[in-house]
Amino acid sequence: MSTQRAVLARTASRGSGVRGREAQAGWLFVAPVIVLLGLFLVLPVVMAAWVSVSDWTGRGSPFSAEVDFVGTQNYSELLFGGGLATQDFGTALRNNSWYVLLVVPTQTALSLFLAIMVNRKWLRGSSFFRTAFYFPSVTSSVAITVLFLFLFSATGVVNKVLQAMSVSGPNWFADPRGVLHVLLAWLGVERGPAVLTDHAVLGVSLWQWLAGPSVAMSVLILMAVFTTSGTFMLLFLAALQHISDEVDEAAMMDGTTAWQRFRFVTLPMLRPTVFTVMTLGLIGTWQVFDQIYTGTQGGPGKTTVTPAYLSYTASFQSQQWGRGAAIAFILFAIIITMTVLQRRVIRGRDKDGL
Amino acid sequence: MSAPRATTWRERLGGGRAGGSLLAYAVLLLLAVVYVYPFLVQVATSFKTDPEAVANPLALVPQVWTTAAYERLFLRSDFPVWFRNSLLVTLCVTAGRVFFCSLAGYALARLRFRGRGVVFASLVAVMAVPGVVLLIPRFLVVKQLGIYDTFAGMIIPLLADATGVFIMKNYFESVPRAVEEAARIDGAGTFRTFWSVVLPMARPAVITIVILSFQGSWNELAHFIVSAESPELVTLTKGVAQLAAGQLGQGSQFPLKLAAAVIMTIPVAVLFFVFQKRIMSATTGAVKE
Amino acid sequence: MSTTMRRLPATAALAASALALAACSGGGGFDDPAPGESPGGATDAPAGELAVLIGSSGDAETDAVTAAVEAWSAETGVTASVTVASDLPQQLSQGFAAGDPPDVFYVSTDHLAGWAANGSLHPYGDQLANVEDFHDSLRENFTVDDQLVCAPKDFSTLALVINTDAWAEAGLGDDDVPTTWDELADVAAALTTDSRVGLSFGPEYQRIGVFMAQAGGGLVAEDGTTAIVDSPENLAALEYVQQLMTDGVMAYPADVGAGWGGEAFGTGAAAMTIEGNWIVGALRNDFPDTPYRVVELPAGPAGKGTLQFTNCWGIAADSDSPDAALDLVEHLTSTEQQIEFASAFGVMPSVRSAAEAFATEFPEQEAFITSADFATGMPTAEGAAEVISDFNAQLEGLANADASEVLASVQANLQAALDAAG
Repeated sequence: MSTQRAVLARTASRGSGVRGREAQAGWLFVAPVIVLLGLFLVLPVVMAAWVSVSDWTGRGSPFSAEVDFVGTQNYSELLFGGGLATQDFGTALRNNSWYVLLVVPTQTALSLFLAIMVNRKWLRGSSFFRTAFYFPSVTSSVAITVLFLFLFSATGVVNKVLQAMSVSGPNWFADPRGVLHVLLAWLGVERGPAVLTDHAVLGVSLWQWLAGPSVAMSVLILMAVFTTSGTFMLLFLAALQHISDEVDEAAMMDGTTAWQRFRFVTLPMLRPTVFTVMTLGLIGTWQVFDQIYTGTQGGPGKTTVTPAYLSYTASFQSQQWGRGAAIAFILFAIIITMTVLQRRVIRGRDKDGL
Repeated sequence: MSAPRATTWRERLGGGRAGGSLLAYAVLLLLAVVYVYPFLVQVATSFKTDPEAVANPLALVPQVWTTAAYERLFLRSDFPVWFRNSLLVTLCVTAGRVFFCSLAGYALARLRFRGRGVVFASLVAVMAVPGVVLLIPRFLVVKQLGIYDTFAGMIIPLLADATGVFIMKNYFESVPRAVEEAARIDGAGTFRTFWSVVLPMARPAVITIVILSFQGSWNELAHFIVSAESPELVTLTKGVAQLAAGQLGQGSQFPLKLAAAVIMTIPVAVLFFVFQKRIMSATTGAVKE
Repeated sequence: MSTTMRRLPATAALAASALALAACSGGGGFDDPAPGESPGGATDAPAGELAVLIGSSGDAETDAVTAAVEAWSAETGVTASVTVASDLPQQLSQGFAAGDPPDVFYVSTDHLAGWAANGSLHPYGDQLANVEDFHDSLRENFTVDDQLVCAPKDFSTLALVINTDAWAEAGLGDDDVPTTWDELADVAAALTTDSRVGLSFGPEYQRIGVFMAQAGGGLVAEDGTTAIVDSPENLAALEYVQQLMTDGVMAYPADVGAGWGGEAFGTGAAAMTIEGNWIVGALRNDFPDTPYRVVELPAGPAGKGTLQFTNCWGIAADSDSPDAALDLVEHLTSTEQQIEFASAFGVMPSVRSAAEAFATEFPEQEAFITSADFATGMPTAEGAAEVISDFNAQLEGLANADASEVLASVQANLQAALDAAG
């Protein structure tokens, strides 16, 4: 009995000693990550917030005594000012909105399609196909942009292929015309109705808002789908493989067609993955920067300027650091809002569906 | 009601017609060509002359093989410097991330300490910040810390990686406690237990981090633009981006630019092919975090 | 719950430690570096070493500037290195913001106002030994608040460059050199073939502006505070260019597969182009087999007109060795050095003492020099550069645009910028 108690006492004391050392070790182990994240994630956000409400001109420290607090001046200049700053911001938002609108559904649908095709059990060489579709996702955006600059140049591969089909391809990267406008012009509508051309949101007329992505932007859209469909295909593949065969066979027993099976059995079970893919897509597409910096630098005719790129040029080229920081925070708000909205929409449907 | 008849393997898997599978193969092959052909053209063009690249872009075999682009790249430009810089930065970032993320992941998974929940919650919060917002502010912080335009300024900010911590934490939670307890009873300290016993068991997760870090830092561009300005610190991504903007002279110079893009892609491509299976499952796992 | 209770102090501790660590590692806190003091970085040369950053038009310019700087180094014993920027304004901005800029660099009229205003530039104009030698109009361009901020390094005007082989092929002679807008349109039509367009120039105010000047229009009125963009003269100019494009006798370089007018000209994609002095060096280096001649641009409804461009040698306020930098600038703007630059990559010297030598040595560039008599410079007000860049973006789509709307929007923006710069 006494030995038992002694053992217990010993383990208890060893326990507290170990516990104490453990706590120390615990803090020590997470300290580097905390410091790093604090310094390079939290602190930058704090500094940017300050810069966005100050009049720092770019010389010296933003926290020095000469830099004044200007309240929401930078934000109001961007959103309500009506001048060049507002116009540029409006154009950037328009460009990025079309980009998001076209990339996210396309990449989701394409990657789902690829996953389904590659998932067939009888498919030989499925690993070859998986590799082929995933490879573009591994390369850097700079390398892919350089490649696409070549493929879509005025006398490049794409135009040569189109020529073979007797279609005269446009000068892709130098064409600032909005795709929708081109379509409408084809149908004979040259100038927009007064209702659209006379009213402007954020300095950009409604007619321009509805111009669609420019031809140059369309190449960037294709590039985005090309590079991300592989990653999302893998996500869908993993999810598809989780759907047990029994469920599928049970559905088949009921005499459903392949399409019905897909729509009413597979798709609902894929919903979480679709949600993940769309969220990641939204977050990624609202931040597009590398491709613009490398490929088009906002041109032609400012049709590939995005808020991320605008934030960069406003700060580093026009020396408007406050404005650049303000644009970054507005973008932050947009991304968070879209993500939350999307979650609500999908969750809402879940509740109804079930 | 009669029993359902046995389905043939064709009917089971959609289509139901003999042509169904052929159609599927055709579509897949066409898509595969669309995905693979650009890279083949890229390599082929890097061996063509400038005029041929413009006149004959489709050909996969150059009429006249020339290594002029590669010579220009390696002998008459800063390309070797870029490569060295990228390599240096990537190796440091990868090593650093593996070390710090596994430390933190272990602490969050196994060590009990006050505030562990808070740390975890803040990690989740921090992951929500989109990268683009950090572009300019990181420049400001790097400048304030006095590490602007140095390798430290390029490497250290990239060591901050919440996703890596998650991956390690999740893996460590699946390591059986018995192993650790055995080590403890043998008298090993916390660090010793972690380093010599638990970490080796987490090899799959460590490899995942290595792959993701390598890919992430090798392909990083925005941070290198803002954290350094001198030509000796230019990395491959920044250098090739400058090339694309026509830094090395007039003309379209496609073979030169594509050669640069090819060389830039080789290391990640090699990594990809070697660790294919791992990468493909790692992506799924990492993205789910 | 006890865990929530434990969380609060822990959160506070976390936040505090993060901020404390940040503050402590802030390299001495958040003070401004004293002027002239450098925080250290890879481009920051040790005291006495100069870093020169240029925006080059090609190998010819890079080589010439490097040779000149090396010669100066050998003479004075001060090491200096020349780097070519891939994006000069961005790299300079970054350098100024980081307190770590190069010592000597190109400054264009676009950015002068902004950088002078935020104190990035060291105004050394009065300290120059050869300050009186610079052309008056160029000195004016770089004077801010009655202080000459930097020394003009050279200047160029725009003229019409003609491919003499194509000219002869089309059966044109010396008499056919266009002197009016209509003649230009006719000549461009005669020179246009299936594989070649008659005329090509960049989609920017920096080229199309010549037509605006020739029509009697422009961007800013004489008083420097009123924008005159939205005028019938400018509209006439834009409509003339649109007509040239619709008739197929003129195309932007991008539409013929070239990066700029000089490349379109050199590769034979265009028979004529509108470019400045720099085309001489570029053609010599990259397209030596294209024969050309330079003539003055035709006169428009209001007479002759062209644009003039100039850059200056800026010295950073944060530079370690402003005296050495000043010496280098004096060397680079000296008469002999400017003639050397002129012959290397074709720019016109900014000093009067070199004007005669230039005219004698480079008779083929005579048109550029004579054009200086009726040339207009670029607006220098702060904020004007962004408006012009927006104008250029709209000009890219000129073929399908409504010219009066374009002018109206630029008018509004430019007036706003002029009012703000006040």
